[in-house]
Amino acid sequence: MSAPGPMPPTAIQRTDATAIRWIDATAIRWIDALAACAAAPADPPAPDAPALLRRWHPDAQPNATEPLRVGASAGMRCPPALAALLQANTLIDDVDVAGAAVVETDVLVIGGGGGGCVAALTAVAAGRKVLVVTKFGLGDSNTVMAEGGIQAAVGAEDSLQAHYDDTLAGGQRAGDPTLVRTLVSEGPAAIRWLIGQGMTFDLDESGHNLRRKRAGGTSVPRILSTRDVTGLELMRVLREATLLRPGITVWNRSPAVELLSDAAGRCRGAVIYSLYLHRFVTVRAGAVILTTGGAGRLHINDFPTSNHLGATADGLVLAYRLGATLREVDSFQYHPTGVAWPRALRGQLISEAARSLGAQLRNGRGERFVPELSPRDVVAAAMLREIGEGRGVERDGCVGVLLDTPGLERARPGVLAQSLVSLGHVAHKSGVDPVREPMLVCPTLHYQNGGIAIAADGATGVPGLFCAGEVAGGIHGRNRLMGNALLELVVFGRRAGAAAAGLAQAAGPGGRANLDHVQDWRRALVAAGLPLDARAPLLFPEIANFDLTADRAPHRAPHRAAAVAA
Amino acid sequence: MDALTRDQLAIEPARVLTAPDLLVGSSLPGWHAAGGGIGLRRALEDRAGIIGVLERAGLRGLGGAGFPTHRKWEAVAAQPGPEKVVVCNGNEDEPGTFKDRFLLGRTPHQVIEGALIAALAVGARQVVMYVNPHLGSVLPTVAEAVAAWRADPVLLELAAALGGPVTLEARASSGRYIGGEETAVVAWLEGSFPFPRRKPPFPAESGVHGKPTLINNAETLAHVPHILRHGAAWFRSRGRGGAPGTKLFSLSGDVQRPGLYELPMGTPLAELIEEHGGGMLMGRAFKAVFTGGPSNTLLTADHLDVPLDFDSVRARGSRLGTGAMIVVSEGTSIPRRVTEFVEFFAESSCGQCPPCKTGTYQLATLLHRIDSGHGTRADLDSIRQLCGLLPGSGRCGLIDGAVTVVASSLERFGAEYESMLRG
Repeated sequence: MSAPGPMPPTAIQRTDATAIRWIDATAIRWIDALAACAAAPADPPAPDAPALLRRWHPDAQPNATEPLRVGASAGMRCPPALAALLQANTLIDDVDVAGAAVVETDVLVIGGGGGGCVAALTAVAAGRKVLVVTKFGLGDSNTVMAEGGIQAAVGAEDSLQAHYDDTLAGGQRAGDPTLVRTLVSEGPAAIRWLIGQGMTFDLDESGHNLRRKRAGGTSVPRILSTRDVTGLELMRVLREATLLRPGITVWNRSPAVELLSDAAGRCRGAVIYSLYLHRFVTVRAGAVILTTGGAGRLHINDFPTSNHLGATADGLVLAYRLGATLREVDSFQYHPTGVAWPRALRGQLISEAARSLGAQLRNGRGERFVPELSPRDVVAAAMLREIGEGRGVERDGCVGVLLDTPGLERARPGVLAQSLVSLGHVAHKSGVDPVREPMLVCPTLHYQNGGIAIAADGATGVPGLFCAGEVAGGIHGRNRLMGNALLELVVFGRRAGAAAAGLAQAAGPGGRANLDHVQDWRRALVAAGLPLDARAPLLFPEIANFDLTADRAPHRAPHRAAAVAA
Repeated sequence: MDALTRDQLAIEPARVLTAPDLLVGSSLPGWHAAGGGIGLRRALEDRAGIIGVLERAGLRGLGGAGFPTHRKWEAVAAQPGPEKVVVCNGNEDEPGTFKDRFLLGRTPHQVIEGALIAALAVGARQVVMYVNPHLGSVLPTVAEAVAAWRADPVLLELAAALGGPVTLEARASSGRYIGGEETAVVAWLEGSFPFPRRKPPFPAESGVHGKPTLINNAETLAHVPHILRHGAAWFRSRGRGGAPGTKLFSLSGDVQRPGLYELPMGTPLAELIEEHGGGMLMGRAFKAVFTGGPSNTLLTADHLDVPLDFDSVRARGSRLGTGAMIVVSEGTSIPRRVTEFVEFFAESSCGQCPPCKTGTYQLATLLHRIDSGHGTRADLDSIRQLCGLLPGSGRCGLIDGAVTVVASSLERFGAEYESMLRG
């Protein structure tokens, strides 16, 4: 075993948004742009979305993707940084788990974000024994960063059909109709379940009804929220429920390094590395649910990211090795309003709630250039067009466009303090008073649109292996709408939890769990002529300075070191 | 595990049983087009000479024992009376062995023809294809092939030679590992649970319903028509270094190209791994091979030069067994593999003999404790004690095989076990 594979050299260094490889243009100076913004702008032109996306969306750029050469989805295209991990050698060998403690459970949930908690709560409610493992702490995830809200068709003028149409259209019609139908039709029940768990939502002026906001790319107001900290509120409730519930065991600081399978190819558990014990632990389970989230920390296409430190595509890597198929892994979402200045906060998210409450985007000439509530991919591409064509705004060497928060405050006095709490925090950290000064924003890598292909019950192509949340693909097509991520993790977390509970009851934790698929995987790598020295899953990004080999307890017998070295 | 493709077969020389034109499935015309039927024709012409040809060819039982085939046939032929049975043993269930399922699933006619020749040689009018039903579509394929033979007029000639009608049938075995043992085969065909029985009497004297019964492995029978067609000298020339014929090797484990390889008997182990198996996976160092059941003594790096035939492997203190070669490289744990195999034996023990029933269970439990990090030195000592106590305590060889693999791995890789102990 060696250290987790090195990050591709381009991935971390280019957090500078001005240095997006394929954009090389001049920009308008900050003070000139502020002056240009003084006048009220004209309405933005309607965008030609397909042409805009083809020319300016990051995924559409030359060399943005390459085909996979091994595995169940060989031939599918994905970004080189992800391909390097998907086609890497394993972190461990059979000898590494010889003598490792064996723990048995009914359902193993890998990932401690929102999806993991929902799945665990559902499986335990079905009477199963559940173990949740997470490489950070429970709730330490991207879920808490979901600021905007959660979609569900609960309004009187809204309908499931409208939600379905918006979701499918927003995803460029690449989503799986069955999955989308499942998502939207269980939306209201998901909200009811969340309220039952103790989650609070903002109410409208009447004080009786849920307050609904408008999301980009939707036909009616459908976003339910808790100010702009919806994900944090959701995670607070689910985390408490998970920790308090008997029957759920939580292991923090315990990344999964490999899945286990039996002779029939069925997933039977996982090898966990405990950062407390500095040892491997073998978990045998009747069913496994992956809720490991996305891949933002790979800095796809050199973009800064809004993602949590743990978004390193571990779940994709583990499932792909075991034979799961992927879909739309070449498609990522770049959230339009990431912080562009100051440099230290680059990539941090400013919620879409700002635009859904009426904040406008302005280029260096003070013009509005895109309807702000278009789908995210369209808005991001339009912003990159403005920057690429020289109408961006430059401040201390950082380039972006302006998010006109003073304009919003003028139009709706008090809205910043009342409804945009986390925007205020970001502004405060930036040293900006958003009431007086606009924010400089630039698209930030936000979400993995595709992922592991699933059925409506979260089942992957591998028997015994389920997925929920961002790691799963097929729901959002090639672009996700605001608020559908939280809904997805609740709906499919519940479905995967229930299905895994049923399977675990039928199968029990028995059966020998092995690493035989690892040898098959290595044979495929050798046959394809791929290097064997790259290792995955990454577990932690390079900046974490984590080295599994160095971290392991050194007290074990010397033969093991020799065996590993060979 | 049909890792074998037509392309792979084409580049391998010296194929007798797995030549590409023989892979005709259940099609009898296909088998005839590939030269099938000639062996049986020769047998009908010179019935008394069949056993002599096999003796000169030096064919031995390829199900693991390596017992000279002609002696088994002579023993049954010597029994009086016309009520005799020939059984083709296709129960294959050992970890790492996948040769019979290939033969019976892809080219069953040579096996059936071999069984018919055996019936002719020993004077049996009942022929049973005893096949593991858990091997995918193998049993249905054999059943189709048997139906094709029943419609073939050659069966009438056979009946004429044997003085009565010949019954040929495909029967599902229990699919249990123990069901491949000879007396267990007899018990199952009589309608009982496949419990092995005491020997003697051997099935050759008193088998199915008391009738003298010839039980041969599918691979052994598959060679018979080819030997009768091409002659004993031809068969001997297929082997290397004095060993006759070819052998199917089920190669698995940490090699680059696992699969089924038909090679001359006597091919060195290193050649099987390096030239045919594509070398060790990722170029790692060779550690050991589990042969046969996997119930034999491990072959280690000192034995890479051993020619893979019955006598040469036995001379190194191990056994060729079924020809399964489970290769282990550095990076793979020997104790974990052994635990897996012993768990298999514990599950497979029929429970008839108390020392085997409790002994395999105890061994598996102790090994599992060590594998899961709870094992102590006392557990390891208990394993060693059991390895001294248990051999020879069962009616069949299951307990002996389990002990052999544990004891030999302890002897050669004791340090690996020690390193897994707690504390």
